[in-house]
Amino acid sequence: MARILVVEDDHDLNNAYGIILKHEGHEVVSAYDGKEALTKLKDFTPNLVLLDLLMPIMGGLEFLRQWCKQGSAKQAKILIFTNIENSPEVSEAYKLGAERCIVKSWTAPHNLSRVVKDSLATESKTPTTSN
Amino acid sequence: MTKTTASSIYSKDLHAGVESLFSSIGEGVITTDEFGKITRVNPAAESILGYSERDLVGEWLPKKIVALSLNGDKMKFIDLPITRIFLTGKAVSEKMYYVRKNGDRIPVAINASPIMQAGKPIGAVEVFRDITFEQEVDLMKSEFISLASHQLRTPLSAIKTYAHMMAEGYMGELNDDQKQSLKTIIGASNRMNELISTLLNVTRIESGSIAIMPKTVHIDSVVREVLPELLLMAEVKHIIVDLKTRESPQNKIKTDPLIVKEVITNLVSNAIKYTQNGGEVKIIVKPRKRDILIEVHDSGWGIPSHAQDQIFSKFFRGQNIIKRETTGIGLGLYLVKGLIDILGGKIWFTSKERIGTSFFFTLPKGKRFQSLPHFKKIEESEKYNSN
Repeated sequence: MARILVVEDDHDLNNAYGIILKHEGHEVVSAYDGKEALTKLKDFTPNLVLLDLLMPIMGGLEFLRQWCKQGSAKQAKILIFTNIENSPEVSEAYKLGAERCIVKSWTAPHNLSRVVKDSLATESKTPTTSN
Repeated sequence: MTKTTASSIYSKDLHAGVESLFSSIGEGVITTDEFGKITRVNPAAESILGYSERDLVGEWLPKKIVALSLNGDKMKFIDLPITRIFLTGKAVSEKMYYVRKNGDRIPVAINASPIMQAGKPIGAVEVFRDITFEQEVDLMKSEFISLASHQLRTPLSAIKTYAHMMAEGYMGELNDDQKQSLKTIIGASNRMNELISTLLNVTRIESGSIAIMPKTVHIDSVVREVLPELLLMAEVKHIIVDLKTRESPQNKIKTDPLIVKEVITNLVSNAIKYTQNGGEVKIIVKPRKRDILIEVHDSGWGIPSHAQDQIFSKFFRGQNIIKRETTGIGLGLYLVKGLIDILGGKIWFTSKERIGTSFFFTLPKGKRFQSLPHFKKIEESEKYNSN
């Protein structure tokens, strides 16, 4: 099973995604903004990051930029989970290496599990180091 | 010596009156002869364009004042309002940019009309105004709705996610009443979500910020992809949905599949919504030489004949429908019309009360989609049906 970092500022949703993904047997670490996510990444090397875009303190795009600079972003799949569909922010996220963009308000738990499973099944970006 | 007559004084007064009228009009006015050569320019036009009347009079309008379409491309001669009015003999309204003398572009709303004499155009008159402020307000409105929609969706996502989690058994087994209640919560959240999407899309169309992602697709596959969600909706009302199409190379077309899906979802869900229990909805895909025709027929309540010319208007809902179906805000067909215009297609319908309604729309083959530099770049987001 995979190691997943959930970056979502809404506590209710972050908690829900954690329950769903743990239920599937994944190891899940939560962060509530981009800055916290960067800190968590010092001790956790995920296979996949579930990333919201609009967050306080540090948004998803800035998180991706900073993570890319560190060079370790390539090791994980990045799934954007947002409610701002069809926006320039989403285009930017793709440029920064996001694999898919999913609209949160349309996504049921079984779909979340499926998207994560599909994403992990495609050519894997196995972490080169593990902590 | 010229003799002053009452009629010449009258004529002079009239001329002076017309002159002051022309100079005082608050909107820019340019007149041309029958060849498009500029004959008159009023002060408002001088101020909008930054040219003096002397710079312009005697010049050929299509060459002297550069016109850009709203996507920023230089307009072709054939598309210019002045060309179109001489070709058709009819007035033309258009929003576009004029390039000022100093090279700045200025957004204008133009009404151009031919000046007719004995059935022939002897010149043209263009009346235009600066719409910079309107564009700014539109942009602000669009940004506000975009932000508000996002804020509305966040709590909605939590409501839906937890309702789904309960329904899917994450919190233990449920009895039938509990399952039914959750189904109602999910259904209502889906409706709210659709409403937010519609509002967002309408705002994007109106502000010109909807972008197109053309792809070569088989239309029958596009229709099949949206069908499962619609079938669930039909099932509740015991309505049979019949799709008549076949896989054929002729169904291949370059268009934006996401926009087509939005159009089909709207038309078919309307058909289901406005058809009584046990009715029938038929979708037919017909490839033709120059386009693909898609038909959506229903055996529903129909649109009263007195209301038929209003159905593509914003917020319109038929009186016969409001009594039966309380949900809906009258934006669906307004949105559909806007989306089909963007794809270069046409939409029309026939309807008879208590017999049913048939909608027809076309998607043109060989449509050249322009890249629109000032439009927001759209990326394909994925919507997962959560029914």
